[in-house]
Amino acid sequence: MQSTVPRTSPGPRGVSRDVVAGLFLLLLAAGAFVACLDLAIEDAGAVGPGLMPKAVALLTAGFGALILVIGLMSPGGRIDGIALRGPIFVLGAVAVFAATIRPLGLAIAGPLAMIIAACADEGVRTVEIIVFAFLMSVLCIGLFKYLLQLPIPLAPLLLGY
Amino acid sequence: MEDLFGNISLGFSVALGFKNLGLCFLGCLIGTLIGVLPGVGPVATISMLLPITFGIDPIGALIMLAGIYYGAQYGGSTTAILVNIPGEATAVVTVLDGHQMARQGRAGVALGIAAMGSFIAGTAATLIIAALAVPLSRFALLFRPADYFALMVLGLMLAVALARGSVPKAIAMILVGILLSTIGRDLETGDERLTFGWSEIDDGIDFAVIAMGVFGFAEILRNLEAPEARDVVRQRIGSLLPGMADLKASAMPVLRGTGLGAFLGLLPGNGAVLAPFASYTIEKKLARDPSRFGKGAIEGVAGPEAANNAGAQTAFIPLLTLGIPPNAVMALMIGAMTIHNLVPGPEIITKRPHLFWGMIASMWIGNLMLLVINLPLVGLWVRLLQVPYRLLFPAIVLFCCIGIYSVNNNPLDVYLTAVFGLVGYLLIKLDFEPAPMLLGFVLGRLLEEKLRQALAISQGSLSTFIDHRIAAGMLALSLVIAVVAMLPSIRNRRDKAFAD
Repeated sequence: MQSTVPRTSPGPRGVSRDVVAGLFLLLLAAGAFVACLDLAIEDAGAVGPGLMPKAVALLTAGFGALILVIGLMSPGGRIDGIALRGPIFVLGAVAVFAATIRPLGLAIAGPLAMIIAACADEGVRTVEIIVFAFLMSVLCIGLFKYLLQLPIPLAPLLLGY
Repeated sequence: MEDLFGNISLGFSVALGFKNLGLCFLGCLIGTLIGVLPGVGPVATISMLLPITFGIDPIGALIMLAGIYYGAQYGGSTTAILVNIPGEATAVVTVLDGHQMARQGRAGVALGIAAMGSFIAGTAATLIIAALAVPLSRFALLFRPADYFALMVLGLMLAVALARGSVPKAIAMILVGILLSTIGRDLETGDERLTFGWSEIDDGIDFAVIAMGVFGFAEILRNLEAPEARDVVRQRIGSLLPGMADLKASAMPVLRGTGLGAFLGLLPGNGAVLAPFASYTIEKKLARDPSRFGKGAIEGVAGPEAANNAGAQTAFIPLLTLGIPPNAVMALMIGAMTIHNLVPGPEIITKRPHLFWGMIASMWIGNLMLLVINLPLVGLWVRLLQVPYRLLFPAIVLFCCIGIYSVNNNPLDVYLTAVFGLVGYLLIKLDFEPAPMLLGFVLGRLLEEKLRQALAISQGSLSTFIDHRIAAGMLALSLVIAVVAMLPSIRNRRDKAFAD
């Protein structure tokens, strides 16, 4: 479907999407290839651990180069603005969950992650999200901890599990 | 034939057990619930709900996951009709006439015919799976490692050619997926690969981490940037039962859609996405008055809905008989099976007949349940649609976090998922489709294993891929497909460059 939609006309500013995409692939392939340098392609007459990663890295580099050339031949679409608010709060919330789940348990990590994530949206409403976060956390504790019996810490400091 | 009936009755004896029936119902209900919510597609739904199935036995888990999958498909159609946005990609076409019908106060009829069409298509597709599975898996057992390798390459190429977007970029994504799959300790030699000395990822990266990162979190980031305008129907929903005239107008489109969907679903790529488009085009061509389309023509709902459901279901065939997932959802199913220590492929039918036929029977039961769940609960779905996204997405974040943590009870997985969320977001910005990456990741290990076996048999000679006629044919076909599919993306761009 996407291919039928006319591409946005190249704007005066911004970098060509395909040029960056090609460079990204080339870098990734180079990194992977270098990391595999020590792995043997052949191992006592059989395929060694290095063959697959090295071959795939080379192919990736090839397609990266192709996409780079396509991007250079015609600038095509530009990268539209990369937002910071969304990634920072959403992924930040995930990281906070990861850091707090073991020491503090779901009872605290749950609402904390939801409230932080909610800040990713400019229209966040303080009271609403706090109430909702606690309700959802109670629901999740009931579902995952008690109904499904997953071994997820609840409130280690308070309950000991 | 008698075999078939024997197998189907074995399946029903498994699927009609009290627990499996309950799990099927629960899966359908939860799947619909999440499928109704806009911005949460089937891939995100399944990866989010995967942990719920951890504590269940493999049969029950697969029955429930399958229920979640087609529940999400059904739910997507409900959203398409009631709100002017598709709940997921396969319902894009349903929006055109379905929402117009709703505006005319015929939402109930549109929902009713969508459910009935889907049920008929689902029934036909279940029968097709049951009939094709055994012969296909027998055929697959004849495959040697070299053939298997070639088949996977062919499948991946077809998936790329039929998918949307730039072909070179899709192939690159598959390669990146395969590269990701090589991370961790080499299973045969024990060498550490691409771990950068980090022992925590010795066992490789969990597929759930990648799936939830690029489909769960990155989707949220994408949605946050494009605020949706929801246009929930205010008119009455009206009677759910289509009248005689409606049924008559829909009968043939449903049958044609079923055939089309069942065929396209078999192919790699995304049959369930492609089929509704094909069906809509055909119905419009065949219609006596094509101008009615887009203004609430019931054929424009009945045909595509049947096609999408048939395609969604026959997509199980390559997975269950060959062990090769034709699309991202099926790739997730492979992941789910691996978590339950099941190796998808032709052996499943012979070694685990209870599991296989139980799952097939549960598909039909699930379709019947959806017919029952969806229609009376429409009022509930409408209310659910009023939950704003600003509340929805933090809840999704929490669900994903709990899910990821529960895969291995390891906070490190949660951090890694956040990293893949960022990667997924950047990939979206660079106009890469993440689905082929997941396919490549899931098939990567199997590809390497078969390559190794093939080369071990031939004592290292690559000529084994040319000497075996099946393998050579499939590899040649893959190359042709890749070149043909790639030409336009290179040529078009150049034309455009010259035109500027």
